[in-house]
Amino acid sequence: MSEVLLEINNLCVDYVLPNGIARAVNNVSLSIKKGETLGLAGESGCGKSTLAFSISNLHKAPALISEGEILFQGQDVLKMRPKTLKAYRWNNVSVVFQSAMNSLNPVISIAEQLTDVIRAHTKASAKDAELRAIELLEIVGIHKERLHSFPYQLSGGMRQRVVIAIALALEPELIIMDEPTTALDVVVEREILNQLYELKQTFGFSILFISHDLSLMAEIADRIGVMYAGNLIELGLAKEVFHHPIHPYTKGLVSSFPSIHGPKETLYGIPGSPLNLLDKPQGCDFQARCPDCHHKCQQEVPRLSSDTPDRLVACHNL
Amino acid sequence: MHYIVRQLGFYLTAFLIAISFNFMLPRLMPGDPLDALFSATQGRMDETQMAAIREMYGFMDGSIIEQYLAYLYSIISLDLGPSVLMFPVSVTQVIGQALPWTIFLALGSLIVALIIGISIGTYASYHRSGFFGQVVPPVLAFISNFPYVVTALILFYIFGVQLDILPISYTYDPDLTPGFHWDFILSVIKHAILPMGSMILVGVATWVFNMRNAMINVLGEDYITMAEAKGLSSTRVMTRYAGRNAILPVATAIAMAIGFSFAGSILTEVVFNYQGLGNVLLKGIVARDYPLIQAILLILVVAVLTANFIADLVYVWLDPRISK
Repeated sequence: MSEVLLEINNLCVDYVLPNGIARAVNNVSLSIKKGETLGLAGESGCGKSTLAFSISNLHKAPALISEGEILFQGQDVLKMRPKTLKAYRWNNVSVVFQSAMNSLNPVISIAEQLTDVIRAHTKASAKDAELRAIELLEIVGIHKERLHSFPYQLSGGMRQRVVIAIALALEPELIIMDEPTTALDVVVEREILNQLYELKQTFGFSILFISHDLSLMAEIADRIGVMYAGNLIELGLAKEVFHHPIHPYTKGLVSSFPSIHGPKETLYGIPGSPLNLLDKPQGCDFQARCPDCHHKCQQEVPRLSSDTPDRLVACHNL
Repeated sequence: MHYIVRQLGFYLTAFLIAISFNFMLPRLMPGDPLDALFSATQGRMDETQMAAIREMYGFMDGSIIEQYLAYLYSIISLDLGPSVLMFPVSVTQVIGQALPWTIFLALGSLIVALIIGISIGTYASYHRSGFFGQVVPPVLAFISNFPYVVTALILFYIFGVQLDILPISYTYDPDLTPGFHWDFILSVIKHAILPMGSMILVGVATWVFNMRNAMINVLGEDYITMAEAKGLSSTRVMTRYAGRNAILPVATAIAMAIGFSFAGSILTEVVFNYQGLGNVLLKGIVARDYPLIQAILLILVVAVLTANFIADLVYVWLDPRISK
């Protein structure tokens, strides 16, 4: 459990736009341990997906990784040669994208989308790849008769299962899940998450789970990181972060969701709107929306610091 | 399968309507070619002569329905009467000699332009920040913005007149006897280079841009990012995942272009004196050869409808979602 699988150090990702440079990920460092589920939370546009894309080095212009390193089992992903990178992708890290509706090619059969990744990375024959594809579909609970279906012939939940089956194809060490259940209703979401948990028990992969739903994350993740305007502002054990948030933004995020189990509480949102990345203020990025903003927050950028070894917070009001 | 049957029904209906128009149009016009012939002889033909000629050309008396049925029968039996211009050679024969050349010219240049254009469009959009993607499309846009006649005449002048390395007239060397031997085939290819080349040069940019626009839409889709995250080879992502989907909107444009390619070949055939249908049509119009003109229009209708039907079949094969 303690062995580090992936280490991100001082990662910066910029979007080079005609009217300036928007820093979507600002100096973020975090690590994912073997077998761990790390949750990454934050509102839309906070850089959580951008960060996830960097792990497979998928960025294309106008996005640019300007600084930092991403070490997968000690090897820098950003310095890999194209051939090594291709082998690393999916073999070591696979991705379940936001919406399964769009991450499956509509005119290619499920069979081919499953087998092509197997055949691209292994020496499996067409026949073996197909057997493996059937096996994978059965793992996620889809009947093998569906193998030659096209995505439009499947329901939303089935498509998401297919995407998960594809993600499992090469038994990677890490699966990045970018809001994998956002497009699904709660019942299907629950089914898929339970199944995912079982699969994790069987295969022992790590998960980077991206979502804006902190309560969901508190259930499934070991640790949670919270991002705001490209900065990692809080990182700690899932239950701790969810039940005892420290950063004012995390507090706002936690109180924006109704609790499923607890008593009825009034919901508090976060006032204001997300920061314009092209027009960042001096000092803390959250100052305009923060209830406890004081003089120091307008002058100095808060650094991630810790009281206890397991908890990091970037706020002057500690 | 339902889809194909439905489309077939649609095309048969369209064909019937088109040939009915083809039947009605000359009859809506005042007079007929014989009147033109009559006035050309300045009234020195008497009524019996006129009637004999009229009958020979297949202009029969009788009710409009009888005429229509006779017209339909003439189409089915491919007996479209003699040509006025090349009397007594039958219209079917005149067209039979010219049509293969036009098909060769129009479809040949379209297919080559498609292959080149779609390949360039796919590659240039997938590598759009690279040298190729930045330079080639603007250059092609520049070339294709000349009117066709200008491009054709420039090629004509450079390769046909100044350098004198390519023939500028006829479909093959008239000294040769047509047949399956090398001299003849080589001669056909040599004679086709300029007319086909000019059509390809003008046509290719259309496909580059059609394909590029479709590609750029597709390249933003999540399934492309997923295909890349899967570590598939760039070639596979570019062709199978992006190109495969981008070709769908382009396929519709191809179906329409087949019709235009026949129309476009008329001008080419005139510039390069190529003995195809366009050349025959032009001569027919000048000579008011109504049977010939009618038959060529009929051929064009059949060609366009057949091409569109084939395109529909291909579309079903390309996009499995259609047949539902």
